[in-house]
Amino acid sequence: MDIKSSLAAQNYAATRPATTPKAGPEGAGGTIANFAGEFADTLKQGEQTAIDAMVGDADPNALVQALAQTELAVETAVTVRNKVVDAYQEILRMPV
Amino acid sequence: MNAFEKAIAAASSGMQSQASRLRFVSENIANADTPGYRRKVISFEQVMDGPRATGQVAVGPVTLDRSALPRIFDPSHPLADAQGYYQGSNVDLVVEIADAREAQRSYEANLKMFEQTRQMSRALLELLRK
Repeated sequence: MDIKSSLAAQNYAATRPATTPKAGPEGAGGTIANFAGEFADTLKQGEQTAIDAMVGDADPNALVQALAQTELAVETAVTVRNKVVDAYQEILRMPV
Repeated sequence: MNAFEKAIAAASSGMQSQASRLRFVSENIANADTPGYRRKVISFEQVMDGPRATGQVAVGPVTLDRSALPRIFDPSHPLADAQGYYQGSNVDLVVEIADAREAQRSYEANLKMFEQTRQMSRALLELLRK
């Protein structure tokens, strides 16, 4: 009886770590942080090139390239955000 | 930098190089009648990131065409020598026009690649939207 309950407790303790989130840079948080950092960098570069082109330093090719890359990054971010919000609303609609 | 951004950067560097090639072609054409002018020739080279090639293209240093300058007979010209000859420019308009047309075609090809890349990335993101 006593052995059985202790075995059950051991099994329970062994299965619990499976549900804990992974730590470290391999987890989802690190990836999202990397993505956000790259996104901010691309945005900053695009703005800087646009300012340079307005002032007359950069040529139009560089401006178009920077704006296209910024557009690509913003579209990716917006689409992923919409998907995340959709998923969150789906969870909220779950009957409890 | 993902593959789409690299493709955009490569196409953009190609457009920039062709634009500066066109610039030198128009300088040559503008100076076709300038005495003693030698036509400018540019070369293309890879852009290196340390030891690795980035796949982008850039314009190399400008060199001058070393072919002989033509001697033009015009005794009334201020630069004419005792025999009435002066040295013209070695710009051949036919060559310059062909070069300009080649630059234009190459620019168009790079522009198409630019558009194609954007279209592909947009189509990929379209999958995530419902």
